[in-house]
Amino acid sequence: MLDTQVTATRLPARRRPRRSWRSPAYAFLLPGFAVFTLVMVYPTAQALLISLQRWSVSPYQPSKFIGLANYATAMRDPIFWRSLANAGVYAGVTVPGQLILGLLCAVALKAAIPGRTAFRIMVYIPVITSWVVVSILFKYLFQTDGGLVNFLLHDVAAVVPANIDWLNSRWLAMAAICALGVWKGVGWTMLIFLAALQAVPDSLYEAAAVDGAGSAKQFWHVTLPSIRRTMVFVMIMLVIGAFNVFISVSLMTDGGPADQTQVPLTYLYRQAFDFLDFGYGSAIAFMLTAVIVAFSALQFRFQGADEESAA
Amino acid sequence: MKRRRLVHALGVALILGAFSACAQSGAAGTPGATATTPAGVTTITYWHTYSADSPEVGTLENEVIPAFEKANPGIKVKAVTIPYNDMHQKLITGVAGGELPDVVRADIIWVPELANLGVLEPLDTAMPDFGTFKDAVYPGPLATNAWQGHYFGLPLDTNTLVQLYNPKVLKSVGAAAPASMDDLKALADKLVKDGKYAYADNDLSGWNTLPFIWSFGGDITDPDVTKASGYVNSDATVNAITFLYQLYKQGAIPKFITQSGATQTNDGFAKGQYATILGGPWMYPILAGSHPDFAFQAAKVPAGTAGSISVVGGENIVMTSASTHKDAALAFVRYLMSEDAQTTFAKVGQFSVLKSLGDKMTSIQPYYQTYVEQMASARPRPATPAWTEIDAKMKSALQEAFLGNGDIKGALDKLAPELDALLAKYN
Repeated sequence: MLDTQVTATRLPARRRPRRSWRSPAYAFLLPGFAVFTLVMVYPTAQALLISLQRWSVSPYQPSKFIGLANYATAMRDPIFWRSLANAGVYAGVTVPGQLILGLLCAVALKAAIPGRTAFRIMVYIPVITSWVVVSILFKYLFQTDGGLVNFLLHDVAAVVPANIDWLNSRWLAMAAICALGVWKGVGWTMLIFLAALQAVPDSLYEAAAVDGAGSAKQFWHVTLPSIRRTMVFVMIMLVIGAFNVFISVSLMTDGGPADQTQVPLTYLYRQAFDFLDFGYGSAIAFMLTAVIVAFSALQFRFQGADEESAA
Repeated sequence: MKRRRLVHALGVALILGAFSACAQSGAAGTPGATATTPAGVTTITYWHTYSADSPEVGTLENEVIPAFEKANPGIKVKAVTIPYNDMHQKLITGVAGGELPDVVRADIIWVPELANLGVLEPLDTAMPDFGTFKDAVYPGPLATNAWQGHYFGLPLDTNTLVQLYNPKVLKSVGAAAPASMDDLKALADKLVKDGKYAYADNDLSGWNTLPFIWSFGGDITDPDVTKASGYVNSDATVNAITFLYQLYKQGAIPKFITQSGATQTNDGFAKGQYATILGGPWMYPILAGSHPDFAFQAAKVPAGTAGSISVVGGENIVMTSASTHKDAALAFVRYLMSEDAQTTFAKVGQFSVLKSLGDKMTSIQPYYQTYVEQMASARPRPATPAWTEIDAKMKSALQEAFLGNGDIKGALDKLAPELDALLAKYN
């Protein structure tokens, strides 16, 4: 808000940039725009066309235009709805989980404590590790017989009477998948929040201290409002990421047992690459996109309204 | 045509784009790159799924291909190893993008699907000497190449599942290898008290359940593969699956059978947690590598009311219609079918399809004996392009029944018309 006010008041005072300066600007934008069109817009348009067809994989065989039939199939497909619900649950657990834990880590590791760099690296290592590697690791951790999680819960702590059959039911498997999502993502949110925290001017804290605010009040009234924009950015990125969860589900449960843990991407993948129904797979992709766009728009709007009322 | 291919490739690229992180590495190089180098050497590309965990890949790259290239100067073979689980996706992407290699070693269950997509060259018309090869191989594996009146490939290697057992575990309860399903049940009752499993498997797909279904006299479709009703929900099929379910419920089969290959059974088998598993000949080199001191033995699949009937696996060799070096590709196919190449591969667990080598198999590897016996009654899975989807639907239905109320009959009754609809697409 501050930035825009400053710009708005300054611009009229300055001479507007001459018109002839603009065309080089567009020329510089052109390569990026061309690549974007080639690798994003064109394939997206083609996929939209595929989603309206009973599409033949083979270029030698005809495809049939069937209008919105693939979308209608999805609307009636209980597994598609379940996959969306599972992604919603995944977002509902992992987004707040990563936000809160990431912020806590950032606040804790901003202070000049001994071994700070080592801790930061430890939290960040899962982020740079391959999804495939950590998914297989978690699959072994959550193994029913001989998995480390059951060993700790049953054999060591004795808090459960028998080994838990983690990957064999919808909610337990989703819990394991969410645990992986949070563990792997906390390092990234921590890093972004750390950067944001560095940018909060010390003078604000000093002023708050002078006014008698303790550290809890400083966190609530200084830190949180100062990193609000970062928070929204992180939240939107995490929600988009959560609805696009794929590798962990594919490797830990493959959507099973009995399609109980399907998420949109694993289900789309199965339809397209296992059953060769690329039309239906593309339709699912577009419906997922619609959901994500709707969520992001809601978040932007909510944020915008919030800022205006706060201002 | 060219433009349409581009559209296909980009469409697939978009869907693949959603999985950027799981994209295959560039290891496969340029698929289908059939190039003639300046020296007049023809290079053909060969996609295969030989295992890198066993000596198979080494045998192909260091023995078979060099021998072929020596005998056929002017032809180079570029072999591309693709993990089994990635091959189907890779082939489908290749079909859509018009980027297939010259020669593919394909799982027998994929050949009808690929033939139906029109990307395979019918070998019975492309090879003037096809009859010679047709007569030289076993009819069962050969049949998996047939689709709509043509043969689209030749069997390359064949196999089946037999019962592998851990003698130490059986001895601990004074039992012999179960010869019948009743024996297996009796073994389960004894071992369950010791906290051990009589049998273990890691999936409920057709590959895993058909030895039970067929041995109990059941089936998934009619012999002509036109309908499932009355077969997949017949009393015999229901009995077979119920038998498995009761073992599972009793704690005689580990719970991961409902988890789609989550756990490999090799390790638990070698450590004595499971008394028996079903395994193919490739298990010998794998277990010899991971547990060199483990002495296991083999017997036929326990017999049910209809006998001991196992499932035929294996690979076929196919040539793509897009290949621009068909003569060179066919020369390679002929070499792979030769007694030389088949004998070399037989040493590393690839059971030969040549009838002429039948007697020699057990002298190449003594462990082939049980497989030779089992092969006599083994059957291939239904040959239909719909198999992948049928298999997935059936697996899902069984998982639901196993984890839910155990109503096997109800689950299969509900499944039958769905499978009928899938089969109807190709009739």
